[in-house]
Amino acid sequence: MTELNQLDLYKEMVRIRQFEARVLNEYHADKSPAWDIGAGLIPGEMHLSAGQEPAAVGVCAHLKKGDAITAPHRPHHFALSHGVDMNAMMAEIYGRTTGLCKGKGGHMHLFDPENHFSCSGIIAQGYPVACGHAMAFKRKGTDHVAVAVAGEGAANQGAFHESLNLAALWNLPVVFVIEDNDWAISVPRSASTANTSNADRAAGYGMPGVRVENNDVEAVFEAAGAAIDRARAGEGPSLLEIHTVRLWGHFEGDAQAYRGAELETLDERDPIPAYAAAIGLSDDQVAAIKAEADSEVDAAVRFALDSPVPTADDALLHVFA
Amino acid sequence: MTAGSGVAIPFPMTSSDDPSAEGVVGTWFALDGEAVTEGQLIAEVQLDKVSQDVHAPSAGALRHAVAEGVGVAQGGVIGHID
Amino acid sequence: MTATETPTSEGTRRITTAKAMAEAIALEMRNDPNVFVMGEDVGAYGGIFGSTTDLFAEFGADRVIDTPISETAFIGAGIGAATEGMRPVVELMFIDFYGVCMDQITNHMAKIHYESGGAVKVPMVLMAATGAGYSDAAQHSQSLWGTFAHLPGIKVVAPSNPYDAKGLMASAIRDDNPVLYLFHKGAQGLVWMAKNPRSIAHVPEEAYTVPIGEAAVAKEGSDVTIVTISLSVQHSLDVAEKLEGEGISVEVIDLRSLVPLDTETVLASVAKTGKLLVVDEDYKSYGMTGEIAAIVAETDPTMLSKPMVRLAVPDVPIPYARTMEYGILPTRDKIEAAVRELAS
Repeated sequence: MTELNQLDLYKEMVRIRQFEARVLNEYHADKSPAWDIGAGLIPGEMHLSAGQEPAAVGVCAHLKKGDAITAPHRPHHFALSHGVDMNAMMAEIYGRTTGLCKGKGGHMHLFDPENHFSCSGIIAQGYPVACGHAMAFKRKGTDHVAVAVAGEGAANQGAFHESLNLAALWNLPVVFVIEDNDWAISVPRSASTANTSNADRAAGYGMPGVRVENNDVEAVFEAAGAAIDRARAGEGPSLLEIHTVRLWGHFEGDAQAYRGAELETLDERDPIPAYAAAIGLSDDQVAAIKAEADSEVDAAVRFALDSPVPTADDALLHVFA
Repeated sequence: MTAGSGVAIPFPMTSSDDPSAEGVVGTWFALDGEAVTEGQLIAEVQLDKVSQDVHAPSAGALRHAVAEGVGVAQGGVIGHID
Repeated sequence: MTATETPTSEGTRRITTAKAMAEAIALEMRNDPNVFVMGEDVGAYGGIFGSTTDLFAEFGADRVIDTPISETAFIGAGIGAATEGMRPVVELMFIDFYGVCMDQITNHMAKIHYESGGAVKVPMVLMAATGAGYSDAAQHSQSLWGTFAHLPGIKVVAPSNPYDAKGLMASAIRDDNPVLYLFHKGAQGLVWMAKNPRSIAHVPEEAYTVPIGEAAVAKEGSDVTIVTISLSVQHSLDVAEKLEGEGISVEVIDLRSLVPLDTETVLASVAKTGKLLVVDEDYKSYGMTGEIAAIVAETDPTMLSKPMVRLAVPDVPIPYARTMEYGILPTRDKIEAAVRELAS
């Protein structure tokens, strides 16, 4: 198993948070005074991962080049943690020709084949594709693994169930990650899911399952390491459910009235200041790490803004290879 | 079709459950009178929902003894190679 | 890009369409270790409609894989494996089962190349059985190529005969794009289903390709053009041969591919005859017959000396009882009547 480095874990979480905070800011900046979701330099839907950094950072710490991730509509934390280039990613979010997908995909459809990273806006549908990556790794005889990421709402979609059975049946090197942030848009887990832990479902499908509480990056790190090692050793799939927190809306523009009183104390559940305190960082260290992250994010935004906008005719390209 | 001489091609399938059941030639791949090589796929026969390929036992001219879909007794002859 | 390789001989043996498509898969599998097959009952059974005949015996369970009844999972797995450089041939047993896996097909298999700005390829074949005529009723008898041809990102092919079945499968496997390969159950030459003699034909033993995106002039003629695909090509040829004897010269265009569509061949034929019949076993409205009509209309409607005729399944689910089923299918009688009307 990879060795746990607390500072690295913290820095990576901050890097993600500063990216998300900047995107949040830029996304909203030109959609006012009247909220128009299609307006601005970053149009469309936006699903940010603030609060869920421990899931991505704890899991990706164990991944190496060549390992695959399929992520959902809320992909930025996993993308960044898995080595996707921040400039190309920001440019894609800004819809520029220098983006990962030349502006064709946008924030929910980030593809980076060099890092075997993809995401999809259709709930749970990344699970079968992750099985496919794992199948290819197994057939080629490498020790690479695939990680499939979805939310607790996705665990009620057929694709989740089919994929778990298939992976267990065929002993595929895949780790199924569930980020349980309590909410499927506005529907709480208690109203969507008959069980209280998807680790129980894992057992039903013939694989080990673990649920990690408290959004604790080190607990995620430990559990993910065990699951990924298992897969690399050819021992098959596992499920890792991470109880995390969605600090902002499901999407930007989500007023979140349905969360009620929870909103008032949400900031207390922010994992990043909590971890800084837990590992004893000084205010200066915290500030320096934040500044370094901001510097990288600034450069990415400048890169995006300096990049060309696609032409209308570009839309007709890349239907077929 | 002629009841000719030459190498007989038997209906290859048998049913231990029902020895009196008739099979059929479902498909003749080689036409009546066609020159065939040894081992060439010449027909697909069927008995009781199970089907099987038939290959030419030798080279020569194939003669059909029975048309597609017509009942053939187990152990019967479906054709000859002249 | 698919390379056209014309075989060096016609071949001495005749085989079924089913055997021909399976043979193409076998030849590609011998040549390229990245090719493998997945689907329900594709292993020892050889595919419910013979699409993988003899593959299991040659390649075994490692490369010819029986899946659980989990279309979303195994089609998605095919996609993931394809993005990693493998070349899966995945069978969806009946095209009618698309409902349980449509998302993987149209939102993933079809769109990943585009969404990624060309960065990711999905070199996958999705093969599926289509077609009516043996009373399998509404949920097991559809054609549906119109539906899939309508959604961008998938090449769609449907062979009508053993020679094209083998060549198109080779092209499909070698293509770096997702190809939906639709084979008609009634054209497979199966011994347990009534068959047209055109489903058994000479097929060269060597590997060869038939290009995707090129129609074939299955029969040349000068009086009436029939544009059609799949089993309806066989029926159209039967009618054309009969009417030739009466001095009505029918040209039959076998589209072979719906995406890409060979509009040039279609328009050249219509320009020549001025009389167009489109025969389609798929549902009539919003489909192939309308597409061909639109192509003619937007090119030069004066090409037609008479209004065109669309012969397709009317907008009804396919019924069980034989009299009703054959009442709605584009049968030889109906094709003949339409041609005579156009030629009169």
